Amino acid sequence: MTEVTRFTHGSRIPGWDEPVDPTKAAAVIPDLANTPVPTELREEIQAEMAKYPVFRSALIPALHAAQRVHGWCSPEAIEQVAAVMGITPGEVAAVATFYDMFETQPVGSQAIYVCTNISCSLRGGPKILEAMRAAADGDADFNIRAFECLGACDMAPMASVNGEFVGPLTESDCAQIVADLKSGGEVLAAKQLRVRPCADQAGRVDGGQTTTSEVTQ
Amino acid sequence: MSAILFDRIDEPGLNDIDTYERRGGYEALRKALAQPREGLLEELKASGLRGRGGAGFPLGMKASFIPGADIDKYLVCNADESEPGTFKDRELMQKNPHMLIEGMIIAAFTVDANRSFIYIRGEYVLQAEVLEQAIAQAKAAGFLGDNILGSGFSLDLVLHRGAGAYICGEETGLLDSLEGKRGNPRLKPPFPANQGLFQGPTLINNVETLATIPAIIRMGGSEYAKLGIENSAGTKLVSVSGNVQRPGNYEIELGMSSRDIIFDLAGGPDEGREVKFWFPGGSSSSVLTAADLDTTYDFDAMEKAGSMLGSGAIIVVDDSNSVVDVALTLASFYKHESCGKCTPCREGTTWTVKMLQRVQSGEATPMDLDIIASVQEQIIGNCLCVLGDAMAIPVGSLVAKFRPEFEAHIESARERNGLGITPPAASEEPVLSL
Amino acid sequence: MPRPEHKEITLTIDGRDVPAIDGQILVDAARGGDIEIPVFCYEPKIGGPVGACRMCLVEIEGISKLQTACSTPVKDGMVVHTQTDRVKGAQQSVVEFLLVNHPLDCPVCDKGGECPLQDISYGYGGGKSRFIEPKRHFVKPLGLSPLIAIDRERCILCYRCVRFSQEVSEDHQLVLLERGASTFVATFDGHPYVAPFSGNIIELCPVGALTSRAYRFRARPWDIEGSGSVCNLCPAQCNVTFTVRDDRVLRVLSRDHDGVDDGWLCDKGRFAYQATHSDERITAPLVRDGDQLRPATWERAIQVASGIARHSGAAAAIVGGETTNEEGLLLGRYLRDTLASHDIDSRQGGALSAGVLRELARTDLQATVPDLEFAHTVLLLDADPVDDAPILDLRIRKGARRNGAQVLVASGRPTALDARAAVAVRHAPGSAASLVLALDAALSGDQGSASSHATDAGSDLEAINALAEALKAGGEDVVIVWGERVTDGAGGEAAAKALVNISATLGLGTREGSGLLELPRGTNGRGLREVGAIPTAGPGLSNPVAVGRSTDEIAAAAAAGDVTALWFLHADPTRDGRNTETWTRAMASAGLVIAHASTLSPELAAHATVVFPAEAGAERDGTITHPDGRIQRLRKAIGSPVDVRPAAAIIARIAEVGSGVDLGPTAGPAGTAAVSAAVSFYAGLNVDEIGGRGLRWQDRDAATNLPAGDVNGESAAPVPAASPNGALRLGTYRSIWASPEVELSPALKFLSRRPTVELSPIDAERIGVTQGQNVDVGTGADVLRATAHLRSDVPAGSIFVESGLAAPGNLPSEGQLIEVNKA
Ligand SMILES: Cc1cc2nc3c(=O)[nH]c(=O)nc-3n(C[C@H](O)[C@H](O)[C@H](O)COP(=O)(O)O)c2cc1C
Ligand code: SF4
Ligand code: FES
Repeated sequence: MTEVTRFTHGSRIPGWDEPVDPTKAAAVIPDLANTPVPTELREEIQAEMAKYPVFRSALIPALHAAQRVHGWCSPEAIEQVAAVMGITPGEVAAVATFYDMFETQPVGSQAIYVCTNISCSLRGGPKILEAMRAAADGDADFNIRAFECLGACDMAPMASVNGEFVGPLTESDCAQIVADLKSGGEVLAAKQLRVRPCADQAGRVDGGQTTTSEVTQ
Repeated sequence: MSAILFDRIDEPGLNDIDTYERRGGYEALRKALAQPREGLLEELKASGLRGRGGAGFPLGMKASFIPGADIDKYLVCNADESEPGTFKDRELMQKNPHMLIEGMIIAAFTVDANRSFIYIRGEYVLQAEVLEQAIAQAKAAGFLGDNILGSGFSLDLVLHRGAGAYICGEETGLLDSLEGKRGNPRLKPPFPANQGLFQGPTLINNVETLATIPAIIRMGGSEYAKLGIENSAGTKLVSVSGNVQRPGNYEIELGMSSRDIIFDLAGGPDEGREVKFWFPGGSSSSVLTAADLDTTYDFDAMEKAGSMLGSGAIIVVDDSNSVVDVALTLASFYKHESCGKCTPCREGTTWTVKMLQRVQSGEATPMDLDIIASVQEQIIGNCLCVLGDAMAIPVGSLVAKFRPEFEAHIESARERNGLGITPPAASEEPVLSL
Repeated sequence: MPRPEHKEITLTIDGRDVPAIDGQILVDAARGGDIEIPVFCYEPKIGGPVGACRMCLVEIEGISKLQTACSTPVKDGMVVHTQTDRVKGAQQSVVEFLLVNHPLDCPVCDKGGECPLQDISYGYGGGKSRFIEPKRHFVKPLGLSPLIAIDRERCILCYRCVRFSQEVSEDHQLVLLERGASTFVATFDGHPYVAPFSGNIIELCPVGALTSRAYRFRARPWDIEGSGSVCNLCPAQCNVTFTVRDDRVLRVLSRDHDGVDDGWLCDKGRFAYQATHSDERITAPLVRDGDQLRPATWERAIQVASGIARHSGAAAAIVGGETTNEEGLLLGRYLRDTLASHDIDSRQGGALSAGVLRELARTDLQATVPDLEFAHTVLLLDADPVDDAPILDLRIRKGARRNGAQVLVASGRPTALDARAAVAVRHAPGSAASLVLALDAALSGDQGSASSHATDAGSDLEAINALAEALKAGGEDVVIVWGERVTDGAGGEAAAKALVNISATLGLGTREGSGLLELPRGTNGRGLREVGAIPTAGPGLSNPVAVGRSTDEIAAAAAAGDVTALWFLHADPTRDGRNTETWTRAMASAGLVIAHASTLSPELAAHATVVFPAEAGAERDGTITHPDGRIQRLRKAIGSPVDVRPAAAIIARIAEVGSGVDLGPTAGPAGTAAVSAAVSFYAGLNVDEIGGRGLRWQDRDAATNLPAGDVNGESAAPVPAASPNGALRLGTYRSIWASPEVELSPALKFLSRRPTVELSPIDAERIGVTQGQNVDVGTGADVLRATAHLRSDVPAGSIFVESGLAAPGNLPSEGQLIEVNKA
């Protein structure tokens, strides 16, 4: 049954209930002279900016880079992106908070997105999510999130583990994933999308003369 | 039928330019570059290819909207593939990236665009890596960059990774996102063909659409048009998922029976299970029931059946599932993905989720089903883009087609709860800070 | 870009023929035909439509889906329906959706009674909601800045405020965070939204989500009256409506004037009304008694002040920018005609000859404010509108954003518009005159003298050539916005002539929409010049009987004992940051110092003989002249405290008591008539003609009465810029926030300035200071302690110190070398 109390109801958003801090200065475009940015990050962002006819297009790539360096899109990371790109940190934050893959709160370094959208949920996605959480057992290094359709319903129920798609998952796979991550090994090698053959007969090398399992060998 | 997009797609090393070229890759490009632009446009029109991203707009016609004026024009490949149930572009990009790149170069040449972008959803890490490498190879081979194959035509191609937002599949939301903004859809008109990326004329197409172009050029447009049926030419990748035994992508000729796709190709539901309902074109399409299984799989037939072909993603739901759960999963997805820009979608999806939660928990009455149905009607056609409709149409169809099951669910949940609505728990008073 | 042409068409709305302009937005066209289409997000002042709220859906024949009227341009013969069941159904749906989460707290909401959401819900809603789920509830209201409170429950996400921040003020601080129903209006990481124009979002909000913290709960719509006037805090002279309750100003709103402000106000104009009701304001005459100023009766104060009659030939007046035309004219007359003193000035940087002033005032050379929007090129010459006349900054941005106007900048200090500029050239602080000479030479192809002037300006030839090229290539309609400081100092006259020459080269006089626009330092700088409150010209820019001393010369003469009586009409030169030390000596040695003021600086407190309380802006009557020649009326909105009297009446009374002369009418229509009688090119102008919107004198027939100018004759050359060998070149700037009104208004107090020095990272490194550390500017007794602010765009070798602070320090003048050391 859903809980319907005043503040715990569905739409409570972090940030909604906080006033600004009047002791802070206005968040104008940070001057690179006053905002130290790791050289590699600065260069990566500048290289991205050079790819587009209008530099602003590099904002999402810049945030990916900053998140990689800082672990999350921290205020510091956002200020660095803003300083390099010459825009306000507000503009950067507006974009960072729009997209699901940008973390605007500190998170663990192991990103596990479990798909709970329709095709996966028809095949047990929500249970996999529970099992994954149980397997990680509160380890703060694990950032386990329920995610919308990841575009791999053919291997439902599935998850993206640090970007590697794996599935179809059983509940016992979850413990294996967590163990693989802890040991630094490859995650569930046999169930990775990269080794999955095409379901269509035509996809086979000889147009249907061999079986899919032969192809993957 | 001979496969076009999936022809021996599992061949090891196909994502490498050597293998691709050995199989005749980039020949279509050479052929295209030797032709006048108008001729290419005619081929595309003659092919009858309709967009594979969801809306089914004819490719040739869209390309012909791009003005000839001497200004910066752009080509954008929509590789956001976020429609639940859809995963065809993923397989294409991962296994045969050069086919897409070749298609893009031809399309760009046709509309005289010198800059192109692939907007790929951020979650597709592997596919982005593959594409990145393929683009580098194509550049090294002189298929991209300045003066391609001595034709005088130049093209820059940038792979742009998104960061997780379904709305960035909507073409104008995608353009804003590609410009480094929040991915809010834009008002139309102006349409991207007139004012798209960086305000310039922009051709934007789905991965599968663009990847089909080399085949069209190779075969000739009218030859390609012989595949499929009237008004639904060609082959289509269909992603079949949900309660079927062999989920996956299948390349079919349009006009095939849906039953054959679901049962013969994908194996149908597990032993002992029945098809309860199915989404023929991604989760945004109106659901069809077992009674509709013999509908042929093409644009017109699906529309006539009251649904749509959409992205070509069939999601099969068998009789072990509760229609309430499916409706709530759907609505929650769209609520989560609503960009929040327009009122009916933002508030309507939120309200629908809240009502469905009450239906699920037994706090609703059958009258609430009327309100749910009417809220869906209030959303449809009133939003800025069609994301709102994308929830309202399937949810509305579920309520319309399975109303007795919703009612029965409410009844039994109420009984479980000891009848009556649980009053909201006492509230905490807010603190005033001014 | 020339203004677009208008083609008349007719469309049909609800069966009625409605005349409209081709391409006009349907909502506006309908309004023209007296048909209301409800809107929330649509606000053309902000920019193009966004189509977010969906309130404006209408039926258009030939289109199957309902269309948003806010984004539909009308065409001839279009047939529109706004009253069908389908449209009504959509309107009811949208209202129902909007109220899903909007609290029905109208009785306690500040917006109640003047709320578009309230009105539209009544007018177009279904009157009931089927939403029984609990609404969102959040802590409310929250501070968004010291000026603005935000109530997130009430927000309907119409995008107006964030669009303002992004598309009008372009400060990009206010944004939407998160997505979907979680979207909320906020700033980055809890930083307050502090920007020069932030208050406009309060007026834009169509619900009670954004409210003024200064106005919250002070009144209800039925308690208040609106009183139209003009803001007299800076030369932009925005049109305002004072919200008045019980003879107090409680709020200031924009009185949208396309020719002046485009419907915006800066935060100073919006909130500084609070200074009117400050306890610290002087509200009774003060007369010196030993080392104290003590309250005195009016008779006594007038008696003391009329002692000026004994200083015949040795009296001088400094006229502050807030002075009205009527007051300036009166004081000039008294000084010149009765006291035989010609030392009166309303400028700070030295006087230009009457001939040159007339040339600069030529009607064909005057650009208007709307010209900024439609020009091909806007060139800023040592002016930063955001500090000098803030609203014009928005107008220039609008032209650049909407019409693609090219912005060019040549200035000492980096400007707020640099980011928008196609070319931005730096010159040494205080060397604008040399730069203008260089530009003039470059435009006329004299590379040799362009090069030497460029060197004198501390700039380089290449940059100046680039500027000249951009000016020539950017299109015919050019508006040159120049700061008064361009004509400061020795080279001022030469710079003015060069400006005239540049105008001729570019043909500005031959094109409507092109011209010069000076940003004077004072609010009524232009009017005061035209009524003769300068040493070099009488009323109407006529040649004076005798040329008097300019501001700096008056200071020196008074310090030397040659001027014995000083009259500060709404002026306090010790606060302006120029010659502070000379002024202090001047005041100490003068026998009589008369001041009109609202607050006392330490120097005034120490040296004034008599102080008359000044009227606050909302208490004034009279006319002022906008930089583009628009004569506008200040209209009394509230009564003054009992002992505060109009300055004009005081001047007249002093003349009567001291010298036995009758200066004629001082106030009201007769006062204004006296001005138009004195200024030849204002001839015949009366208050009725000026009306509520003002009018430009150049647009009247009397404009031809402007006497011919004279730019012949030799002028002194500008002093070459110092080269910064180790020491740094001093530049100063004055922001709108450096003013007594800001310090006196409780709401704005947080913006009061503390001394800062802007310097380049290169110099900072050499001196060994980092951002936020203290530095000492100057040496010995004249040192100013300031906070270092590192800016990459400040050229190495120059520093910029903010002037106009309550404790200005005694710095050398602009452009001179000064030492900066780590404190
Ligand atoms: C909410 C929404 C999501 C969409 N997502 C996608 C998508 O992920 N991929 C795609 O190709 N088209 C998507 N579309 C369709 C695009 O807007 C657009 O029609 C398509 O990219 C055009 O390409 P096509 O003509 O080749 O189909 C989406 C549309 C909407 C309204
Ligand atoms: S329909 Fe939804 S997703 Fe589309 S613009 Fe409106 S709020 Fe955004
Ligand atoms: S006013 Fe047209 S959508 Fe808001």
